Amino acid sequence: MSIEKGRISSQQLLFLISGFVQGSVLLIDFTVGITEQQTWMVLLAGLAIAVPVILSYAALAKRFPGMNLVQINDMVYGRFLGKAISIYYIFFFSMTLSFNIRDVGELYITFLMQDTPFIFLLVFFAATCAYAVTKGIEVLARVSHLFAVTGLFVTFSTFILLIDQMDFSNFLPLFELPFIRLFQGIHIVSIIPFGETVIFLMIMGSLNKTEHAVKNTFLGLLIGAVSLLVVAVRNTAVLGRTQTIWTSPSFQSIRLINIGTVLTRMDFLIGIAQTVLIFFKCSLFLYALAVALSQLFGLKSYLPLVLPLAGIEVIIAATVFQSPVDHAVITQNAGIIYSAPLIFVIPPLSLWIAKIRGLPKFETGEGK
Amino acid sequence: MIYLLLIYAFIAVINVPGLIKRREWRELAAFSVLYVIAFALSLMYVLDIPVPSPMKGLQHLIVDILGIEYPQG
Repeated sequence: MSIEKGRISSQQLLFLISGFVQGSVLLIDFTVGITEQQTWMVLLAGLAIAVPVILSYAALAKRFPGMNLVQINDMVYGRFLGKAISIYYIFFFSMTLSFNIRDVGELYITFLMQDTPFIFLLVFFAATCAYAVTKGIEVLARVSHLFAVTGLFVTFSTFILLIDQMDFSNFLPLFELPFIRLFQGIHIVSIIPFGETVIFLMIMGSLNKTEHAVKNTFLGLLIGAVSLLVVAVRNTAVLGRTQTIWTSPSFQSIRLINIGTVLTRMDFLIGIAQTVLIFFKCSLFLYALAVALSQLFGLKSYLPLVLPLAGIEVIIAATVFQSPVDHAVITQNAGIIYSAPLIFVIPPLSLWIAKIRGLPKFETGEGK
Repeated sequence: MIYLLLIYAFIAVINVPGLIKRREWRELAAFSVLYVIAFALSLMYVLDIPVPSPMKGLQHLIVDILGIEYPQG
């Protein structure tokens, strides 16, 4: 039985994924402190590693049409192990959602609305996400192209406006960093913007046709990755080595825009784009979390869980880290280590087991 | 504190009557469990009682107990 009645097209999936990946634009700052001027390389390497894994998500969704991650886990690993794995995923969804809600709060408190109480921002942001989620995935999918295009517009327009301030010698020297730092950077990038797309395993079950799912997942990922790459190149070219000392290199570089003293103080553009994109990302996470929990409990609808879950997430977001530094340190270590099996091991393993066992049996006609 | 009570009263008012009317007892039970957890956490936050951070526990488990960590610096 499917909890979600709405259906999305594979073209909408493309925009959902590209908007979702762009929602992590500010999070590449976690990598910048480690990989400095080589962030662009790390992004490409992270993408190269993540692509086969993410395509395995689409292949898994194609193999189990109409089923979400919790149902797939139950079928592949059995009731008990499947449920345990699903609880691990639910923990991951819950934590990642709270970090993203916190990111919005930190963004506003640091750059836009310093005097507003932190909890107030979190409550209103989470309530807006909860409202969007109660409308269903179909509504979010229908407006996804607007979010994706807004992100692309801000990224490319700010890049063009900053071209006169770019110094491409800032990318030198190449290959200067120790391997372990590059590896950590690749690990962060492959998990935070790209690997988090594992939540689409909760959404791809709503696809009306799965034929083009793999192709559109790849294209969506590519569009999102190009946007991240443009941001990484822009920040390094404009700020050079100083990008590691700013709380947000993106904000700092945008503040330098000065076209004939008319076009200045363009940082509001980043504020708007990031609010919209993180809202989109958080809504998808909250949706995935509510659907996963409802599926786990065997409920008919996920709607009653949305508001209490939003309430829990707000408090976790407000208390999980003591400061942005704490946030960065924990994410750069424990955060990416605990989520690695969920992103890189379990979905490809599920696909492999499903192939060996010939699952799902109802589709191949072997089951009774 | 008043805002907290108002918000949680609002959440209950928009969810509970529909669930009872449709006799969705399983949904009501799941809603109630999450609602109580959410209210308890919010109350702890409002009363300045430290809320345990799951990530701090995870960091302790992975870094301090299992010793898996990227070198700093």
